[in-house]
Amino acid sequence: MIPLGHIVMLSMFLFCVGVYGILTQRHAIRFLISVELILNAANINLVAFNKYWGTPDGLGQVFALFVIAVAAAASVVGLILVIAVYRLRKSVFIDDFNLLKW
Amino acid sequence: MNAVVFYMIALFIAVSAVLSVTVRDIFHGAVALTMTLLGIAFLYFYLDAGFLGVIQILVYVGGIMALFVFAIMLTSKMGDHKIPQVNAQFWPGLLIAAVLCAVLLKIVVDSSWMHAQASAVITDLQTIGRSLVTGYVLPFEFISLLLLAALVGAIVIGKVRR
Repeated sequence: MIPLGHIVMLSMFLFCVGVYGILTQRHAIRFLISVELILNAANINLVAFNKYWGTPDGLGQVFALFVIAVAAAASVVGLILVIAVYRLRKSVFIDDFNLLKW
Repeated sequence: MNAVVFYMIALFIAVSAVLSVTVRDIFHGAVALTMTLLGIAFLYFYLDAGFLGVIQILVYVGGIMALFVFAIMLTSKMGDHKIPQVNAQFWPGLLIAAVLCAVLLKIVVDSSWMHAQASAVITDLQTIGRSLVTGYVLPFEFISLLLLAALVGAIVIGKVRR
């Protein structure tokens, strides 16, 4: 079996890719893709630590299940926001979403 | 043999994750994200979390990715080569992500659990089900409330006003 650190390194890399995407990309849907990557990185950690240091009630996997449900709700609301703002502004770039700046 | 499978899955996840935030066409990005989520489902199967792997495929690959594709289709195609896909803070953003990666790598390598080996505890479906209706029943009910709120919120925001 592989050491725990290697799985955590994979999830750390996914998290950093997500942070890079949020900081640099202009497309609003690309932003949501990056958020999904970050949430999945957290889930990998939960499942890996449950496998290596698990408690008998399987808390890691139960919590990962909750994270998946919250991520689904978040991406539904995020995508519908993108569509609603696109109707107003005819753009999907975050730079053009300056409705709240003053 | 066992370790080789993990490193192949890890390479698959890492490459498709990088592709999903760097390719020019947003639709190709969504396809790469699907590959990433599928790779993560394989990782769950590898880590003896079969139920979560199935849920991952059902919810993410089946549900959320369909929503992403619909949202991309409903908004205009803006992958034109003249329009830049990255904003003005590309280099600072890349630098911050790289520094964050290096710092986290240092923390992981120095940690006490870096070389920890797998325990004998296997979490099966019965354990998860029993936990969900006994110890964690309150968060479980809260999730249903949250999903209802998200459903109503999505309808209210997405409604066309006249």
